[in-house]
Amino acid sequence: MNIADFSTDLEAARELRDYCSIVGTATSRLGRVPGVSSLDLLVEAIRNTVEDAGLKASDIDGVICRGPDESYSHHQVVAERLGINARFSTTLTNGGASQILGIAIATMAIRFGLAKTIVCGFGRDTWSRTHATEEARVRNETRPASQRPREFGPEYGYFGATAAHAFGATRHMHLYGTTRDDFGAIATAFREHALRNPDAQMKKPLSMEDYHAGRMIVAPFGMYDCSLRSDAAGAVIVTRSDRAKDMRRPPVLIKGFGTFNNTRGWFNDDNMVVTAAKQSGEAAYRMAGLGPSEVDTAQIYDCFTYMVLTQLEDYGFCKKGEGGAFVSSGALRLGGALPCNTSGGQLSESHAEGMLQIVEGVRQMRHLYAPDRQVKDAEIALISGHGGNQVCHSTLILGKA
Amino acid sequence: MSDVKQKPVPRPAPESAPYWAAARERRLSLPKCEDCGQNWFPPSRTCPHCLSSRVTFADVSGRGKVYSFVTFHRVYHPAFEGETPYVVALIELEEGPRLLSNVIGLAPEDVRCEMPVEVVFEDVGDATIPKFRPRQA
Repeated sequence: MNIADFSTDLEAARELRDYCSIVGTATSRLGRVPGVSSLDLLVEAIRNTVEDAGLKASDIDGVICRGPDESYSHHQVVAERLGINARFSTTLTNGGASQILGIAIATMAIRFGLAKTIVCGFGRDTWSRTHATEEARVRNETRPASQRPREFGPEYGYFGATAAHAFGATRHMHLYGTTRDDFGAIATAFREHALRNPDAQMKKPLSMEDYHAGRMIVAPFGMYDCSLRSDAAGAVIVTRSDRAKDMRRPPVLIKGFGTFNNTRGWFNDDNMVVTAAKQSGEAAYRMAGLGPSEVDTAQIYDCFTYMVLTQLEDYGFCKKGEGGAFVSSGALRLGGALPCNTSGGQLSESHAEGMLQIVEGVRQMRHLYAPDRQVKDAEIALISGHGGNQVCHSTLILGKA
Repeated sequence: MSDVKQKPVPRPAPESAPYWAAARERRLSLPKCEDCGQNWFPPSRTCPHCLSSRVTFADVSGRGKVYSFVTFHRVYHPAFEGETPYVVALIELEEGPRLLSNVIGLAPEDVRCEMPVEVVFEDVGDATIPKFRPRQA
């Protein structure tokens, strides 16, 4: 038996297609929300989500969240503040891949009767925390001290997620001739989307000239290649599709999901130029019974511009190495071939480790937006989550009910 | 303030102590499996290629090439103020493993992927850390 061949498992997973739906979604206040903890941002988002679904907190019997790193057993504290006992409750620790993983676990738990209605969410007070003092502002470090490397990094002046991802950008530029103009096409497209979103943190237009004038952080990344520091939270409520019909909002079908983790490491193999979006996407496509040509909008984990480009390749929206030409064609803009990060993304809306990509995917599938924000006739949304030490990946495919 | 101006020195995990002890002697020494013969990095007590626990440290050539690199313009730690821009690179050793280091001895804009490099040792406080420079002909 070759346990690495998981194609039959993917076939078996097809029974989960459309089994569950997302019946509620909302965010907290986004951007700079001083005086509110991570925990209360998430509770605020969940309260808004429960209201969006037209439910009561007592209708929820499952809680899945990813805690801020310094919080022990985060889900217990969240449920306490919601005033509920949960049949199914846990905290995930796959970084930005956790939020879709939470929805995947929720779907499986519901399928096998461990819970009926599960809330999945994430929140973080990153802007407040990294601006609390001058030292915090300079350091701009989002990880608690206990999680920072002690060797093989700091002694070389190597710090932070920007540099880690910039390694991938350099290698991709070397292999395929990708340019900073390509990265700029991503940053400027998402900013244009943010300007249509009144909740977005970024309010000013960003031209290609502005992009290139931005100060360098860790080359090849300048400031506009980097996602935002935000106070932000979001949540979704998952339940069985046959129960989803009489809710306040149009339900959105969970058509497929997949995960893959290049746990051999970001610095090993070709992982910095071929991400686990490849296998996680393949699993999600198989469950959903569709392929990249049927995706109408993509909400891609955009911690850095380059990560959008490589994931679009890995998902098969274009060939490996052709991401630069694809994003520079204008494909990612509303009205383009594949409208992407239509609320502004983590580069321009707010950063909640992929949670807001899920919220936006759900909203696009509800078709409740005015025409300037709605992806016209969109039936299928693909959403990505990426995180951990750059190697955890998850994919969610949603469909209009 | 004086201690925050000092560069961070490695605070080794038990399994990487032999690596840093070798560096003090100006040797680049990596874990090596006595069963399958492979090297790896960072150090651990079980071979990730065959899960053997017969692990030793063995000196490697110190020659490699730049797999990828980044250039720090932002100061993340006060001890690196005045040193930007500096290059942090992922070096692929001839023996296979990749390790993070600095590429020194040339301007950041002249560093390239696939550039041949060789190890040099630099003392930082009480520690000695391996860095890399363009390979001499």
